[in-house]
Amino acid sequence: MKKLFLIAILFSTSQLYAQELFLFTEPASNMAKGNIGVRLNNMLMENAATNSYKYHLIPEVMIGVSRKVMVHADAFISDETNKFIAEGGSVYAKYRFFSIDGIHSHFRMATYARYSFNNAPVHDAAINLYGHNSGYEAGIVATKLINKVALSASSYFSHALDNDQNKFLYGDGNRNAINYTLSVGKLMLPKAYITYKQTNLNLMVEILGQTNLQTGSSYLDIAPAAQLIVDSKMRFDLGYRYAVVSNLYRQETQGFLIRLEYNFFNVF
Amino acid sequence: MKILLIAIATIFTFTASAQVTKVTIQATGLTCSMCSNAINKALKTLDFVDKVDANIQNSTFDVYFKPNKAVNFDQLRKKVEDAGFFVAGFTAIIHFNNVAITNDELIVINGTTYHFLNVQDQTLNGDQTVHIIDKGFVTAKQYKKNAGFTTMDCYKTGVVGDCCHKEGLIKGSRIYHVTI
Repeated sequence: MKKLFLIAILFSTSQLYAQELFLFTEPASNMAKGNIGVRLNNMLMENAATNSYKYHLIPEVMIGVSRKVMVHADAFISDETNKFIAEGGSVYAKYRFFSIDGIHSHFRMATYARYSFNNAPVHDAAINLYGHNSGYEAGIVATKLINKVALSASSYFSHALDNDQNKFLYGDGNRNAINYTLSVGKLMLPKAYITYKQTNLNLMVEILGQTNLQTGSSYLDIAPAAQLIVDSKMRFDLGYRYAVVSNLYRQETQGFLIRLEYNFFNVF
Repeated sequence: MKILLIAIATIFTFTASAQVTKVTIQATGLTCSMCSNAINKALKTLDFVDKVDANIQNSTFDVYFKPNKAVNFDQLRKKVEDAGFFVAGFTAIIHFNNVAITNDELIVINGTTYHFLNVQDQTLNGDQTVHIIDKGFVTAKQYKKNAGFTTMDCYKTGVVGDCCHKEGLIKGSRIYHVTI
């Protein structure tokens, strides 16, 4: 708890501009209309049951449909079953319904929803629609950008469906969970913006939690991350996520996220 | 005699003209260079835009135009909004050639209708910095503040309505509210 307070203070006294392009959550802002982003998400998670690392490759396409709407499509490929195979996919949409902007600042709110399909065996009581469970989720996110700090908070409801032939193991009553996140980001470099060619370095910390609505069991993770933005169109993310509270069962409670992203402008 | 009068009228129509040479847009809601780049690239897709000089630090964009191409202020604003941001300031450098303006009155210059607000009655010659103060071209706060400059309804609607007493204007056509 003390550690969290120190991190929060560190970010709130920063003198520099901030970014809100988080790793484990999406901000309330959308991509520009007509822009398309492609991502290669790589997750290397420590699997407690097998005492090895499991790898998830999640290619993703993001489309700026309009100034307020953005959609994503993902494919889930992993070696959870000891074979590196495609296990499912997901669609996601976000609608920005509120925005007050100022110079180098904004307060925005958006609502979003995801539907995922996955056919891999279910192990966890925790619900994860990003590479583990079939299901749907919907929620709300608010992002505040001020010169010095970028803060994002979200809350969403998840419901687990069966993973095709592989049933959700924990009983029908346990298929629902509430999730909550808090993210803070800060721009470290450059000290002053001169050209689009300058590489940006951002540091972020995210707090990610889930509580099962039936059992009341929870997990709470912290995810520090570093991000490089190159040529104002490419992004390299490196994050490490680990649990500080783990009462809601998961085989994998810690691991890395390595993401490569490239943005195409004005495609349509 | 008739021909002479027509000739004189024609000459006077052509002598009162204005050419937009540059627009400076200040955008709100962004800090990062990738966000700025989205606006920068979006503005460049307009066919009348020749060059964009972005100041990432200030979130301002200097837009230069191709010669002999009609400049559309609404399309520039829309590109910023479609990129996910808003316009806080919009100034145009316009080269005026003998244009007489009256405060709180409409004037048509080169096919564009302007409504000059908070200005002294004067004749404009040479390069002038004109601020567009319509909804969406200034902050919401500033737009409310400026409402005191006119009682005409077109300030709220942005188009020709019953309030606009000027010959030859088509109802519903665009009016840009501006100041110097």
